[in-house]
Amino acid sequence: MTFEPIWGSIIAWYLFLAGLGGGAYVSAAFLRWRHPEAVAMIRIGRFIAPVTVVIGLCLLMFDATAGLQHPLRFALLLTNFGSVMTWGVVFLGAFTLLSLAGAGLSLAKRDVPWGLDIAAAAFGVCVAIYTGCLLGVCKTFPLWNNALLPILFLVSALSTGMAAVLVVAIVRHPEEFNRVGVFKKFHFVLPLVELLLVASLCFVTASNASPAGYESVMSLVAGEWSVVFWLLFIVVGLVGPTLLETWLLFFSPREFEESRKAHVISFASDAGVLVGGFVLRLLVLVAAVPITMVTPWL
Amino acid sequence: MSEHAMTRRSFLAGSAGVAAVAAAGGFMGFGAWQQAIAKEEEPPGRTEVVHTLCNACSSKCGYDAYVVDGKLTKLIADEAHPYAQGKICGRGYGYSQIAYSPDRLTDPLKRSADGSFEAISWDQALDEIGQKVREIVEKDGPQALAMVQDPRPSGKYYTKRFMNALGSPNVYTHGAACNLSKESGFTQAIGTGNFESDVERSKMTMFIGRSYADAIRPSSVAALQRAHENGAHIVLVDPRLSNSAAFADEWVPINPGTDLALILAMANVLIDQGLYDKAYVAANAVGFDEWAAAIAGLTPEWAAPITGIEASTIRRLATEFANAAPAASIEPSWRGAFGCSYRNSGETARALCLFNTLLGCWNQEGGALFTSGVSVGKLDPEKFPSTPKIEDAIIGSVEYPLALKSMGTNLYAAQMAKTGKIKGMFFYNSNMAAGYSNPAELASFLDRLKLMVVIDVQMSETAQLADYVLPECSFLERMELPEFVGGKTPVVTLRDQVLDVIHPNTLPSDQIFAKLAQACGVGEYFDFTVEELADAQLRTVGLSLEELREAGTIAFPEKAYSYGATPKWKTPTGKVQFASDACEKAGLPRCPVWMEPEVMPDARAGEFRLIGGKQAIHSHTQTANIEALMDITEEYGLDRAWINASVARDLGIEDGGLVVLHNELFDGPIRVKVTERLNPTAIYLPSHYGCSSKDQHTAYGVGLNVMDFVPFHIEPGYGGAMTQETVVKMQKAGE
Amino acid sequence: MARYGMLINTKKCIGCYACRTACQRQNDLLPDEAFIRFEEREEGAYPNVAVEHVPLQCMHCEDAPCASVCPTGAAHMGADGIVSVDQGRCIGCLYCMAACPYQVRSRNSQTGAVDKCRFCTVSSHENGTKMCSCVDACLTDARIFGDLDDPNSEISKAIVKEHATPLKGDLTRAKVYYVR
Repeated sequence: MTFEPIWGSIIAWYLFLAGLGGGAYVSAAFLRWRHPEAVAMIRIGRFIAPVTVVIGLCLLMFDATAGLQHPLRFALLLTNFGSVMTWGVVFLGAFTLLSLAGAGLSLAKRDVPWGLDIAAAAFGVCVAIYTGCLLGVCKTFPLWNNALLPILFLVSALSTGMAAVLVVAIVRHPEEFNRVGVFKKFHFVLPLVELLLVASLCFVTASNASPAGYESVMSLVAGEWSVVFWLLFIVVGLVGPTLLETWLLFFSPREFEESRKAHVISFASDAGVLVGGFVLRLLVLVAAVPITMVTPWL
Repeated sequence: MSEHAMTRRSFLAGSAGVAAVAAAGGFMGFGAWQQAIAKEEEPPGRTEVVHTLCNACSSKCGYDAYVVDGKLTKLIADEAHPYAQGKICGRGYGYSQIAYSPDRLTDPLKRSADGSFEAISWDQALDEIGQKVREIVEKDGPQALAMVQDPRPSGKYYTKRFMNALGSPNVYTHGAACNLSKESGFTQAIGTGNFESDVERSKMTMFIGRSYADAIRPSSVAALQRAHENGAHIVLVDPRLSNSAAFADEWVPINPGTDLALILAMANVLIDQGLYDKAYVAANAVGFDEWAAAIAGLTPEWAAPITGIEASTIRRLATEFANAAPAASIEPSWRGAFGCSYRNSGETARALCLFNTLLGCWNQEGGALFTSGVSVGKLDPEKFPSTPKIEDAIIGSVEYPLALKSMGTNLYAAQMAKTGKIKGMFFYNSNMAAGYSNPAELASFLDRLKLMVVIDVQMSETAQLADYVLPECSFLERMELPEFVGGKTPVVTLRDQVLDVIHPNTLPSDQIFAKLAQACGVGEYFDFTVEELADAQLRTVGLSLEELREAGTIAFPEKAYSYGATPKWKTPTGKVQFASDACEKAGLPRCPVWMEPEVMPDARAGEFRLIGGKQAIHSHTQTANIEALMDITEEYGLDRAWINASVARDLGIEDGGLVVLHNELFDGPIRVKVTERLNPTAIYLPSHYGCSSKDQHTAYGVGLNVMDFVPFHIEPGYGGAMTQETVVKMQKAGE
Repeated sequence: MARYGMLINTKKCIGCYACRTACQRQNDLLPDEAFIRFEEREEGAYPNVAVEHVPLQCMHCEDAPCASVCPTGAAHMGADGIVSVDQGRCIGCLYCMAACPYQVRSRNSQTGAVDKCRFCTVSSHENGTKMCSCVDACLTDARIFGDLDDPNSEISKAIVKEHATPLKGDLTRAKVYYVR
């Protein structure tokens, strides 16, 4: 009997978009703190957050066919607080409401209270961590069942959230984009952290007591998924953006950094981060081998 | 549904729904809005219980079918049915869904000029068939008509009566591709086509090519298990380690096609060392000395390189048999290794009976038994007139004189279709076009027929070749004639009508043949209903249809078998024949001696013998279109070809990898199961797949049909299909 | 209160799938919906080979991961120790399928809800079935169903006599015991 992944690309999109949304609002709050003058980018962050999260939630509901046929059942989601998913619903619900409020006030050119931004960003972090914990509590899959995964998903969420804000800013508000140096430096660091986390995840998982861990990692680095893993995730999603940004931030003259050409390169780098973010979720879902399928107990 | 069926045991399942709600209620206690979104419990329906006989294989086990509001629900196995003994197998549960198959035949079909089929009325179908039959009878005589059928309770009666009424003796079973060689070989030795090993009480039983756990009859599985628990020495002689291994002590992984050599060598040991039952042989046998002389040189050392089994093992097995005798036997097998597989199958069957005779085990506790049976007595000749006596012998009986007349060799009949000697053929419940060697060549033979009529429930490969296809209702929608089952205590049992007819233009076999007879001008032999005939048959044994309907299965304890009686050998000599004049006349040796299979695989040339065999969830090709069963096949890759692990390593083939099997007849891709459970000279392809009928949407295109690789040829003397006389080569796909 | 469990003796299992098709038939499941799955293991090398068939189904774990992750409370354990899925509460998020270490839950392709072995709680005592369908159907009586809390039950005695243990030790405190 062969194993078919239980969750596929729809859930990967959901995990990606939810994390991205959380990260986007954290970006907005960070910008407000360190770059209060980047008004447009702050607004972009507040706006991206609820849009992506709501799209993600719609995908989730679409995937839950039994619920889709009986929508009232979704109300039952708040009945088991022992379930990570129930907590996720709480976080997602609170985050959606708060980020909608932030986006609404922002769009209406009204002042957004600091408290609202901080609360929304905090729930954004919760949402990002939740997407990792959702998988992390499943003992069946060594690739998921470890403490690194939620952290990895959080870092990836922040990275993709920031990248999303930057991508829009490059197109819509390049003048602001040029002035958010601290933000960009933080954003630059994240893929490096992610690299370390992914390497750790692979080493730890491969040494899991069950051969399923080894099988999962091997399918990523040398098996069925190796091309996607190395090309789309490591090269396009992590190493590529890091190299491009290293050059732009530290080795290119200031005039070039603000040129249109540099903006195109930045755009490509951030788009790469977004692709990598999605591919990460997808790979973690489809490459996970359950401990029951590699017959350690048989 | 008939009235009787309704009244057998009907009741309302009122408590069911209440229990369901109560059981599911453990977690309730939320608000009313939750109640509103919870699944509504359906009100309990009217339940009826009807006894039927499974149709998933020839065992036809009994079960009670539960019908709730007209829909089949549970199947509860019959404790009293001797084959079921309170259990039915995986196939049985799955095959019951044939009634609801979306691929059922619903109307009579006629082949159009362009090869497609069009639905026609019964009247038109019967008129046209009747006219063509009459033309053939007038021009070529009734000898030019033939029938092929896989016996079913009504079918075996009605097909024979229909053909005989027309004046034709040519009624064939599926035997040539099943157990013809075995039963015919047995008959040459012991005068009857079958016996039963008393496995459960034996001290030692050897199975050759048969697996109770893969071709399942629940009572046989139970007997094997009890034998194992009783400490019997169970030996599996098989190129493949079957699932019977669970209850076996020893696997003898013989080179396929060489079972005869093993039996002869074991016999040689018994004779050489004087370990056989001399008194029994002296009292019961003719030609023993002739055989002893003929196999004097066939020692274990001689057999070792042929069979691939060490001489010491053969010697040990023979000695163990001698020690266990008479509570020991070689089990009769069915299709397995020598039902129809090789050029030497009939001779293997003969040798097997002679070996058992050496053990003196006939009718001994734990040995080989001729159990009792009950048959129908004489019926009222007014109501059920006898059909005219037919002088001609069944076609093929001259060319294949050892083939049992009750089965015949339909392969030869098909060949006669090619020559024009046979002009019209009927097929009932038989998928000859897929289940026999070289379907392509067979199709070209059948193509020459002036009339080909197929009666079936689904569009089989055979139906695809027909001029007319007549739709039978499924076994659950028809009552059939009583089925008499022999055994330690013989019984009679009934397939009653469980469901109302689902597709209004389908008919049960008894009505189809009665209507065909009428259309062909011999309707006077069918002027009765199946109920009337069933009741009349039962009255000859002191029962009535009403009683049987009520009980489902009724035993005849007064006819129960008892150990010890010396069998009455029904051979021409009245003895166990170690030498047979009939075999000699048929061009075979008088005594069974070693006979090479027609082909042997040459390992150095990369050849393997292709062997088939059953899996527990399928019966030949007839269950492959059942969704629930095919789902198992696909989930577990059961259509894969088995190859030996060391062979796979040498060829660089991985488990699940794709290979191409090929020989001069056919080539096709298939995934492999790499296993330690197979003799390295063989490749095993399960016998259920490779459906080529596009109208069987579930089965179509899954796996390969082992028969596509087998040449069309006929076993000398016995008339079997020699279904494993073929070799194939294998290479990795894409190379 | 009873605490139900099952014993499966793989030494008696011939891998015939009767338990699976009986379960489908008696519980009126869809053709592609199965509550029992199988793993097969070969040991040794030709010609010294042993085969083991291991049927797996819901283990009705005391620490049921499916119930703890189920966000709607559809997957839950009843007072008799039987883990159930309330079909009317399931949204089909498949979280329980991901959490189940034994991979024995399946999604109903028509309703989208997740289902699994019910120990035939609702149907076992009506319309002819005396017992869980798989137990009734097993050709070799490899299965025993009963009350683990009753020291005199057949299953309780067999567990001790045959040294039966759950498949994966204490992982989830499973109530299906195996003889292997």
